[in-house]
Amino acid sequence: MKFGKIMLALVAIALIAVPAFADTLKVGVQAPITGSYANEGQGIDNGARLLAEQLNAKGGVLGKNIEVITCDDQGTAMASAICAKDLVNKGVKLVVGSYTSTAAEAAQKTYYKAGVLQTSDGTADSLTEKGYWTFLRNSFPNSAEAEFVAKYLVDVKKYKRIVVISDFSTYADGLANAAEAAIKKMGGNVVSRDKIKADSQNFTPVLTNIKSKNPDAIFFAGYYTDGGLLRAQQVALGIKADFYGGDANDNPDFVKLAGSAAEGAFIVNVPEPAALPTPIAKSFIADYQKKYGEMPPSIWGLMNIDGMRAILHAFEQNGNFDTKAAADYLHNMAQPLDGITGPIAFAKDGNRKGGAYVVKRIQKDGSYFNEYVQ
Amino acid sequence: MDIFLQQLANGLTIGSMFALVALGYTMVYGVMKLINFAHGDMVAASAFVGLTIYTQVMGQATSLAAVIAIFLLSALSMAVIGVILERVAYRPLRSAPRLSAVVSALGASLVIQNGIMLIWGPRMRIFPELVPQVYWDLGGVVISLIQVIILVLSLILMLGLYLFVEKTRMGAAVRAASIDQDAARLMGVNVNNIIALIFIIGSSLGAVGGLFIGLYYRGITFNMGWQYGLYAFIAAILGGIGNIPGAMLGGMLLGLFNAFIAGYVSSTWADAFTFILLILILIVRPTGILGERVAEKV
Repeated sequence: MKFGKIMLALVAIALIAVPAFADTLKVGVQAPITGSYANEGQGIDNGARLLAEQLNAKGGVLGKNIEVITCDDQGTAMASAICAKDLVNKGVKLVVGSYTSTAAEAAQKTYYKAGVLQTSDGTADSLTEKGYWTFLRNSFPNSAEAEFVAKYLVDVKKYKRIVVISDFSTYADGLANAAEAAIKKMGGNVVSRDKIKADSQNFTPVLTNIKSKNPDAIFFAGYYTDGGLLRAQQVALGIKADFYGGDANDNPDFVKLAGSAAEGAFIVNVPEPAALPTPIAKSFIADYQKKYGEMPPSIWGLMNIDGMRAILHAFEQNGNFDTKAAADYLHNMAQPLDGITGPIAFAKDGNRKGGAYVVKRIQKDGSYFNEYVQ
Repeated sequence: MDIFLQQLANGLTIGSMFALVALGYTMVYGVMKLINFAHGDMVAASAFVGLTIYTQVMGQATSLAAVIAIFLLSALSMAVIGVILERVAYRPLRSAPRLSAVVSALGASLVIQNGIMLIWGPRMRIFPELVPQVYWDLGGVVISLIQVIILVLSLILMLGLYLFVEKTRMGAAVRAASIDQDAARLMGVNVNNIIALIFIIGSSLGAVGGLFIGLYYRGITFNMGWQYGLYAFIAAILGGIGNIPGAMLGGMLLGLFNAFIAGYVSSTWADAFTFILLILILIVRPTGILGERVAEKV
């Protein structure tokens, strides 16, 4: 009898005590920690953990400490769907990621149904075409980049024979299609639109066919793991065309993969981390370097951190953790929030407003030279 | 015509890499009647070992002597690992049902693949540019120095292997062991030594293939062995598994087939056509192009 009472008391204490211990704001990170894009995925995870650490040191968000829960989606749709379910079950309020549009898209519906906010750097236009209020894009959509590329290739450089290449991913195919349409709309001449299989390493058969079309410019809308090899094999085959890589080619490994062929290739992207001008960017990157001993792998991780900051900012402004209210706040911001990657504001469909692109030429030593700034 | 010749050159380059790797499958199958699934991962491991030898042992030297040393040291390391693999994963199962050995091979494959991931990490590593990027434009067909090196070195290695197996006493012992192990043993052939020798040769050739992949494509990942292993396996079946000239022919044919399908049909369909080819070969000529019809022992 006495023993039973003690047990009851213990259970009661446990019931009261547990919520107090668990009273943190859970932030999910869904990113490719392993696989081809592990570099970028770990950058996102590192950035999110650094931001959480910094905010927790200042007392957290609305008095709650941030707890980061990471799930490795390997950049694939299948693992992403599993991650989404897992993070929702663990009770996260917002999710940062994923890096690829394919993985972000596979998780969207789960987060929408659970009312969990998701912020991703995925640039595929289709991400914001579903009308999910939970989705906030922290990068600029493909269509903004496609317009810029078309304008640059047709109006500024006046190329006559343009080739557009992509792989089969949501992001790359979307960007390439948008670029092809935009080039044609401006009266440019697309002589070939090719697709390669990501990670297949051997692109010479496709490039050999492209060579016979005598192009003067190649626009590749895919990832750096393929882009670097594509550039190397283009030069090896003696195709004289200028090579333009889309934003996902902006990675130090592109230069390493292309080797000496990297020189003279162009990359179209938003500015790289080291070139970000704002004080908030400089201090965050300095902290990142101090903690991890390396630069953030690319601007994509920082865009995700900006998305996370915007959502946390919305929670603080509203004074509660209601995700719907936070989304409404972000969709109707009067004044953009200062971000690491520039001002952050969202359109009603969840797209980040604005767009700032540069064309960077890779120099002999592998560094970038800003050829053209929008 | 230019395009045709260019695709031919491309096809021969990848074909010779397939052939080198396929030899490892076919030699082991010839003697042990075992598909060594770990072979593809050994090829991948070789590229990583070569990378480490380049950065740690050679101090990033790119001289000809250093490159030769990298090839020799990588081949030596892989030969040692190959012998250990045989000793640990296959020899205890030699009298067990064949399925047990195949499962053991799959297990070994996973161990090696995950071992690479744990040692060198999951992300793509970049292989150094050890061969200068030199190209010759032969009337519209561009051939690079690395392509010539791969092709010539592969042909020399394959010719050497062929002569070894056909013309030497040791080679005769290998052939005897592949026909009937018990009879070979009765004739005074040390079958254990022959099997170790097969693993040494197969793993070393695979190591060279792995270094070629690294040199030619530059990007190496821990799981790439699966892809190249599968291609080489198809090449071995195409030529007739267990048959050494068959593996060389199968590799070359598969490389050409892949290049032409990718060039003239669609690069995305190249894999599908490769597997259709495999199915057709298995239906029409199950023993492969050079394989001989052998009466199954009942």
